[in-house]
Amino acid sequence: MNENTDIVKTEGRAVEQSRQLPTMTPVVDIYENDNEILLFADMPGVTKENLSVNIDNGKLSVLGIRRLETAGSASWEEFGDVEYLRNFSVPQTIDVAKVNAELKDGVLKLHLPKSEAAKPKQIEIKAE
Amino acid sequence: MWTTVSDLDRMFGSMDLLRSRMNRMLLDYDRFYGRGGGWAVTATEPLTNLYDAGDSLEVKAEVPGMAREDVNIKVQGNYLEISGTRKSDTPEGYKAHREERDTETSFTRSFTLPSEEINTEKVSASLKNGILTITLPKTEAAKPKQVTIN
Repeated sequence: MNENTDIVKTEGRAVEQSRQLPTMTPVVDIYENDNEILLFADMPGVTKENLSVNIDNGKLSVLGIRRLETAGSASWEEFGDVEYLRNFSVPQTIDVAKVNAELKDGVLKLHLPKSEAAKPKQIEIKAE
Repeated sequence: MWTTVSDLDRMFGSMDLLRSRMNRMLLDYDRFYGRGGGWAVTATEPLTNLYDAGDSLEVKAEVPGMAREDVNIKVQGNYLEISGTRKSDTPEGYKAHREERDTETSFTRSFTLPSEEINTEKVSASLKNGILTITLPKTEAAKPKQVTIN
């Protein structure tokens, strides 16, 4: 894929930029029920070792790096090495200690449980 | 003469600016930007790569959310067909806030491989982390030969 957006020649520039991974925004689905917020993110090719999920002060950051193992010369290449990055705001009511993440078939599934205090409560009406 | 060149440069410079602005506009509008040159439309077919390693060809495809049994591969001569069905993983009893992913879809993609000589008996495939890799060995006749000098 052509990542080059410069039409102008680059010879004139003093320092050539080193090659960096293109950043992509992974597509996500977000669901919620009374107990948790559930996030799915498509990140094909990202291994467990190259994936990090950080929650800090109400900001959730998902970062995955894909490096393809290839052999030979490419006849065509529609996808390549990439950095998947996406940030979200999460409510303070998330129980950060209980967050858990699964990675299967290139899909990240992130469970963000709500803290007990944030769950809806049924109030029982006492009879006299 | 040199003024003309710098004029040209300036013109291209403003075209660059326009293009980057358009791209930024698209970035806000369509989250799938980033797949290609900025003008890409969302793909419903998986993206593929083809590599030629001399002895064999290798096809890679992005198939997130698909398991081994969801993908079918057919080879006939130098014709390769990949098809698959993605099962929806939408959880029950949840309220959806955002649904960008293309779950519950199916696709078929076919190729005519650049080498005529594929040893169809020895084609193998693996699926790892949502990336499908198909290795297609060439027949003996099509493999590169080492030539020794007498």
